[in-house]
Amino acid sequence: MTQAILRTQDLTKKYGEFTALDKVSLNLGEGDIYGLVGRNGAGKTTLFKCVMGLASPTSGTITIHAGKTHLSAARKKMGFMINPSFFSYLKARENLEYLRRVKGLKDTGEVKRLLKLVELDGVKKPFKAFSLGMKQRLGIAGALLGSPSLVVLDEPINGLDPQGIIDMRGVIKNVHAQTGTTFIISSHILSELDLVATQFGFIDHGVLLQEISRRDLHEHTKKSLVIEVDQADRALVALESLNVRDVSVDGNRLTLATALDRCPEIARALVESGVALFDLHRQETTLEEYFMRLVGGDHNA
Amino acid sequence: MLKLMRGELYRLLHKKSMYIYFGALAVTYALVVYVRSGGFSAQSVVSDAMNFFNFLPALAGGFLFAALYTDDLNSKNLIALVGFGVSKTKIVVTRFILMALLSALVFALVPLFHGMLYTLLGWAPAQVAWTTIYAASLKYFLMTVAFAALAGIVVYGLQRTTFSMVLYILLAFNVVSGLITVVLKTFAPNLSNYLMASISDRIMLAAMGSGSLVTPIVLYVAYVACAGALSVLAFHKKEMEF
Repeated sequence: MTQAILRTQDLTKKYGEFTALDKVSLNLGEGDIYGLVGRNGAGKTTLFKCVMGLASPTSGTITIHAGKTHLSAARKKMGFMINPSFFSYLKARENLEYLRRVKGLKDTGEVKRLLKLVELDGVKKPFKAFSLGMKQRLGIAGALLGSPSLVVLDEPINGLDPQGIIDMRGVIKNVHAQTGTTFIISSHILSELDLVATQFGFIDHGVLLQEISRRDLHEHTKKSLVIEVDQADRALVALESLNVRDVSVDGNRLTLATALDRCPEIARALVESGVALFDLHRQETTLEEYFMRLVGGDHNA
Repeated sequence: MLKLMRGELYRLLHKKSMYIYFGALAVTYALVVYVRSGGFSAQSVVSDAMNFFNFLPALAGGFLFAALYTDDLNSKNLIALVGFGVSKTKIVVTRFILMALLSALVFALVPLFHGMLYTLLGWAPAQVAWTTIYAASLKYFLMTVAFAALAGIVVYGLQRTTFSMVLYILLAFNVVSGLITVVLKTFAPNLSNYLMASISDRIMLAAMGSGSLVTPIVLYVAYVACAGALSVLAFHKKEMEF
């Protein structure tokens, strides 16, 4: 278990009668890429606003770096992007230079390095003339300024074209691999987060429903072969004869994690061994289906 | 706070429209003086300064106010600053100090520019005229800074560009003080002495050697300090607008 770099405990945020966050207890381990998944309006941005000190929680606590430093001091060592916010009349380099000065960073070469990383080093036009993808990339560069140990990114792929999404993913993976920076990234596009995140949190109606590692999530969503028979023990023997061993049994229902492409062979073996075969089908839960089952809804994540 | 000031100065120095705007303002000023030069008298250099400087809180101060205060809102830079852990009090105080410094620069250069134009046209100001011109510039400098401090309450309390800019312009064109004066004349005539126009007038007169400087300065500082404190309070109470 890695050390928690960010922890919220029963974090609640109310706007009048509306509860935007309801007792959210989130644990973000050092070095993780944490994907916060939820529908629009689920509370992702509100959670980030509370973490970054842009909104005051109604109740609950936020601890960064195990509370070793005061929250405002800890925030100075964080990077964040909640809507890329830059001066429209300044160029990419000038906007980052502004932030570098405000943060009091001594390394004058860092701006150039970050611009190269997000492929904006040759761009001479002002921020107002940027495409959405360029704005998002500059936002990432701004968030990475000062080599923060924790970076908060709110919907970084929102509005990007396919190439932009690939580039953004590449930047995050690259920085994570090179520096071990911890990321917490929100998105409502689960399949995209799945390509970068190591840990997931599912949020809906302000409630953090589940935190799960990528590995466990894939355990829940991997493909399987489901067989329903009259005698599970005889079926197991038949499967054993076919060298199919990774079988879980639930009553007369058998689930195979392997041999998915051997349906005809398995069916024949079961029938030949005198087992009544009621059902045999492939089952696959997509990440989206998993999420929808979790939130109990039928809207897209 | 110095880091923030360094950043802000960097940003302002890279704001091209600032150079264009102040350049255009200087050219317009020179043209107006030139057009009027046919009817100059010995008093023109002072009386014209009084008349022209009257517009500077709106024309020069308005641009500086927009660049320092409302640019933050337009670009959502306040969100970035607070998110990066810069305290709200620091943000308010830094903006105010920069507004005062940049206004001081403008209101120190404008009398020089004014005097230079009249000198070029053959009406060089005498020593006593310089004193009056600079005293007038001081008055409008103080008004500019005070108006920015007052409009700052709206910037941080409402976080709305239009409201704060409109309020600043109304203050700078004396619309607000005019309305308040009318009301006060009816209900409490003595209180009109405590309006910014009156306080800055008294400071200008004191700078010209007439009257005490202490009372109006204390009142002015109290004015600005109260406005600053209200800005900080409003900013702390208001959550960041996204």
